[in-house]
Amino acid sequence: MKTTFAFAAVAAFVAVSAPAKADSLVFSSWGGTTQDAQKAAWASPFTEKTGITVVQDGPTDYGKLKAMVEAGEVNWDVVDVEGDYAAQAGKNGQLEKLDFSVIDKSKLDPRFVTDYSVGSFYYSFVIGCNADAVKACPKTWADLFDTAKFPGKRTFYKWSAPGVIEAALLADGVPADKLYPLDLDRAFKKLDTIKSDIVWWSGGAQSQQLLASAEAPFGSVWNGRMTALAATGIKVETSWEQNITAADALVVPKGAPNAEAAMKFIALATSAEPQAALAKATGYAPINVESAKLMDPETAKTLPDQQTASQVNADMNYWADNRDAIGEKWYAWQAK
Amino acid sequence: MSTYSDASGAIMPLPKARRATGFGGVVPALAFVGIFFVVPVVVLLLRSVLEPVPGLGNYAQLIGSATYLKIFANTFIVSGFVTVISLLIGFPVAWALAIMPGRLTSVIFAILLLSMWTNLLARTYAWMVLLQRTGLINKMLMGMGLVDQPLALVNNLTGVTIGMTYIMLPFIILPLYGVIKKIDPSTLQAAALCGANRWQCLTRVLLPLAMPGMAAGALMVFVMSLGYFVTPSLLGGTANMMLAELIAQFVQSLVNWGMGGAAALVLLVVTLSLYAAQLRFFGSQNPGGR
Repeated sequence: MKTTFAFAAVAAFVAVSAPAKADSLVFSSWGGTTQDAQKAAWASPFTEKTGITVVQDGPTDYGKLKAMVEAGEVNWDVVDVEGDYAAQAGKNGQLEKLDFSVIDKSKLDPRFVTDYSVGSFYYSFVIGCNADAVKACPKTWADLFDTAKFPGKRTFYKWSAPGVIEAALLADGVPADKLYPLDLDRAFKKLDTIKSDIVWWSGGAQSQQLLASAEAPFGSVWNGRMTALAATGIKVETSWEQNITAADALVVPKGAPNAEAAMKFIALATSAEPQAALAKATGYAPINVESAKLMDPETAKTLPDQQTASQVNADMNYWADNRDAIGEKWYAWQAK
Repeated sequence: MSTYSDASGAIMPLPKARRATGFGGVVPALAFVGIFFVVPVVVLLLRSVLEPVPGLGNYAQLIGSATYLKIFANTFIVSGFVTVISLLIGFPVAWALAIMPGRLTSVIFAILLLSMWTNLLARTYAWMVLLQRTGLINKMLMGMGLVDQPLALVNNLTGVTIGMTYIMLPFIILPLYGVIKKIDPSTLQAAALCGANRWQCLTRVLLPLAMPGMAAGALMVFVMSLGYFVTPSLLGGTANMMLAELIAQFVQSLVNWGMGGAAALVLLVVTLSLYAAQLRFFGSQNPGGR
């Protein structure tokens, strides 16, 4: 009896982890409101059009992804990853080359297209502020690093990724076109000046909570979170001054079981209408240049692709080459 | 299965001979543990000495870096704090539970267990809301005029210690309650009759008798704290990072299995040595048994 049960349990376990059938594919993203929007804007129309079901999975986890590829047991077909990771994994041979005979890249923002990845959506790190909680809101990165003029806690993204180091250097007066290669020592020195006033956020929801509760009334956050925060009725201010862009990317892990269906899915996900639908739902920018026309001007105006006046592009290639070295330094500095 | 049904559906006791040979029954369970617990640990160990290049480079890097050593030290300091405070709060509570009337005991137990069954993340966020600068506790303190600046109770050692102690309390109260309940009250009466004052009753009679339970509870709390991830990462700052979070960074953010495996293995070895030490000092007897 016990034996039977154990075998049944193992069998069930195997059944659950069995690869998806050919008329379906598995999409992994970051969960939460963003993945809900991706499901509604991309997966539903895709299934309607092709009859291929899209199984939602996640959250994306690079350790898991690497383990799958190395073991040759991949069960994600399309994965939403950060741009710097996509660039690095592509160089390390962990991704399938994308099939641009299926995916039309002529209408995609070239900043976010490589042989192995296309943009998923793009976002900016902006200076967000809870205007109800403070007398004045910081307008520039220099303001955000100025604890004399703007006393209180400020919040930054916790993980090693494009955004915070760039902000520190811009605050220290490095011109935007001279950012790369990043002067890490200078950045950390600048970050040291406000270290005791930093509260880190590790996920978008937490950044919203920190601003809303005025635990940290201002900080560097993803622009979409400010859109969400404004919708809750809190008086917020968003400064787009030198907003730092980075894109999420769609990739196909090496050895994905349904790579062909994955290409079709990416083709649809990056086409104009689904990109516009996602942008409307999330406040992140479309990476298809035709999408803005499909939105009402009021919405389009609030997206990062319309905020290019002083926009700074994080250099994903630089990050791909230096991701590990920066990461080690970053976490060591944080723990000091 | 110690019973089986005959054709008519009546439950029959199993023949004695079947019941005596217990080993066959545990083979699947052992296999399960082997496949799902031992194999992954061995794989991780191998990766920690093989990646990125074969050798002990990962371990050298772990032990040679001031930052990582600081994280190790911090892990032990936080776990130690949490264990001591849990004992200080847990012992009186367990003692009270053991001597109070049965009905009240059930109510307190219900509260303890309910909190244990509530989602860990929800409980951690609840503490965040309570402890933050604009949170309930600071609002109350400032309302009463006790402080004029909000206290920093979260994103630091204070927050981690409070949150973790709260989560660990049931794990120390339950074993302690079991032990104290077993202590024969007449031993205390005897001590009192022989002229021991209250303090001596506690330190010379009660505490020594409760010691195995305290040791078992403390070890459990300490070991669980060593590997704690969610609460320290949400209630602590980066300056008091713990080992579990470092491992998560290695694996999830830096995708460096070698270092992640090495750190995980150091944690495992430390945990096992603590367990071995406990067995040596307190034997493998049940808490409270002699």
